[in-house]
Amino acid sequence: MSSELYACVHAAEFPAQALLRLRTDLQEQPIAVLDGPVLQETVCSLNRHASRRGAVLGMMRLEAEGISGLQLLQRSAEVETAAHAVLLECAARFSPRIEEASHGTACALVLDIAGTELLFGPPEKLAERLREEMAAAGFRVSVAVSANFHAARIKAEATRGITIIPAGEEARALEKLPIDSLALTEEHRETFALWGIRTLGELAALPEVELVKRLGAAASDWRALAHGSARHTFQPIEPTFALKEFYDFETPVEQLDSLLFIGARMIDCLVARAVGRALSLASLTIYIGLEGGRVHPLAIHPAVPSMDRKFLLKLLQLEMGAHPPLAAVVSLTLTAEAGQSSKMQLGLFAPQTPEPSRLDVTLARLKAIVGEDRVGTPVLEDTHRPGSFRMESFVVDVKPATPKAERPRMALRRVRPPHPIQVVLHTMKPVAFRDGNNRFEITAAYGPWKTSGCWWSQDGWDTEEWDVLAASHNGEAFGSLLILDRLRNEWRLEAFYD
Amino acid sequence: MPSAAALRLEIERTLEHRFPAALTPAPKTIYEVAPTGVAAVDALLEGGLPVGAISEVTGPESSGRTSLTLAFLAQRTEAGQVCAWVDVGDAFDPESAAASGVSLKQLLWVRCRNESGLAQAKPWTRLDQALRATDLLLQAGGFAAIVLDLGDMEPAHAMRIPLATWFRFRQAADRTRCSLVVLGKTSYAQSSAAVVLESAPFQPESVGGTVWRGCMFEARRGRQRFTPQLASARKPPTSAWSATAAWEAKRPA
Repeated sequence: MSSELYACVHAAEFPAQALLRLRTDLQEQPIAVLDGPVLQETVCSLNRHASRRGAVLGMMRLEAEGISGLQLLQRSAEVETAAHAVLLECAARFSPRIEEASHGTACALVLDIAGTELLFGPPEKLAERLREEMAAAGFRVSVAVSANFHAARIKAEATRGITIIPAGEEARALEKLPIDSLALTEEHRETFALWGIRTLGELAALPEVELVKRLGAAASDWRALAHGSARHTFQPIEPTFALKEFYDFETPVEQLDSLLFIGARMIDCLVARAVGRALSLASLTIYIGLEGGRVHPLAIHPAVPSMDRKFLLKLLQLEMGAHPPLAAVVSLTLTAEAGQSSKMQLGLFAPQTPEPSRLDVTLARLKAIVGEDRVGTPVLEDTHRPGSFRMESFVVDVKPATPKAERPRMALRRVRPPHPIQVVLHTMKPVAFRDGNNRFEITAAYGPWKTSGCWWSQDGWDTEEWDVLAASHNGEAFGSLLILDRLRNEWRLEAFYD
Repeated sequence: MPSAAALRLEIERTLEHRFPAALTPAPKTIYEVAPTGVAAVDALLEGGLPVGAISEVTGPESSGRTSLTLAFLAQRTEAGQVCAWVDVGDAFDPESAAASGVSLKQLLWVRCRNESGLAQAKPWTRLDQALRATDLLLQAGGFAAIVLDLGDMEPAHAMRIPLATWFRFRQAADRTRCSLVVLGKTSYAQSSAAVVLESAPFQPESVGGTVWRGCMFEARRGRQRFTPQLASARKPPTSAWSATAAWEAKRPA
């Protein structure tokens, strides 16, 4: 028994398949893909529904437009590159040794599956799983398994479904295939037609020496290919693992729902690829191509790497809702960074904290309600400027708390922005102040507490703080913090003590 | 001579058709509470503010409502728990919170905004944002305490919050074991509140008339659902507590 065993995955009409992979709504529609310079575009790929309607390869755009119901899409090299990466990623789950065997508009990969029986079972099982995996990724492929590299490649290209060629029966498996299965020149094809050779079986039956005498050394290779005995040195490629999906819209899209429809499918694919390597998505970067050539970037950083597609889609929806594109969208690119799946050891006595993934969605929703910069954790600035702080993203990080105050402290309630007031002074101390129409009598004033800083820069400050006890005309007493801005010479009601 | 237990059993059997278990005291449910960090208030509330319920801290300005709430949050964050402050009037002061012992890293601050940008604008937008934010936080779960700060809101406006909203908050707080503290000038949640703590105006303490070093506050238990007030009590239970200014240093013993 031969120690070699190959499985060839053949995705015919790859330009059409690559475009339809993310558009599940179009998969049952007749689709033709156009390629070529403007006004000379021809059909380069189509699906079976389009073939039934009478569309053929090489048809001009004008002719294709005449077929009722036929949808025309533009070929996209970027979409095909992304789809090819996905195809390669799926194939890599079955074997690390893969050789590229693409030809024309088809995409073909040959996998060296020798020695995988213990992992995936007999070749029939492997071929079925391979085809199912490809179907889940959105590709319709044919699979052929053979001990001969070229036999597997030729058979997968010429037939649909799954074909298993038993060892030693390559010639019989290939004999009925048309001679066009070989990459012959036009001249040689005509020669064989004149000789009446139409199938590989007929070519394999010709005497080798006589054939080489008439058609040259290449004829020996064709005969070996037709016989299923051609030798091949396997040249594996090194697939790079990059989580990237791209989609080019045929018409500019303005509605977020349409974008999310495609985005959901892209996230599905990214998650499936990451999960295949026991990874999760640590971050998502979205590049939204806009009309006019501009790009609108967005980023999603979950608190912990996640493989939950619904959660990631929700974050995408909220992010797009918070930062909607300012023009119609022509393309969508999603790139993801893979991270280790989150593992958290929970304790029976550990304090209850928000679940990270739910918290991410909650924070995104809160930001949509009150604004991006108004949700988070306050962090005190390292300065003596009164009331100075900045907002940072809220992250659940429970650590031993700082030593707390031994006695309750009087708290301030800030007035934002500080309210300008008119103050009545007596012997340099405030005795009353007026806030719009109301006058407040100051019963006690403590101060002034002078602070200043950053005098060397534009945002310097020089203030006098007064803690005052005031009473309104109806007798309500309260404590407040008044500030005299000495740089602008104005009084402000800064806060209330509460 | 029958024993007391046998006698009680006989009486209970006789009255069974009218009063089930007539002489057996009803089992008392123990409700979980969290200390506020102010001993006098904890004694008043029999342990602290309830967990998984709505508590209201009410009173006018400078009545110690915010100081008490921050002391409560300091206790919760010290226990390693996460809290949230939904700020309708954007009045929260991080410096005061830090001085009170609140671990700011464990505090989520939601600052409602006035979309019109006018100081005199109607508060409906901010109020709506605050209620939606509180709803989201309660549904998310995991927050030990959420403060809904309606402290600067006029009662005429805050009273318009439907009772159904408070009822929903109460249910969500119960389900997620979260203490929802509502800070306001008066009580708004009505029957949905488990505890209403009324803060009274203050008495300042100063040193030599030059430095303000603290305040004395009065807290009154207005309503406590789990501990019904005795009908014979004429006045609600009251206690006094004090808070020092942030600049007041610890005095040597």
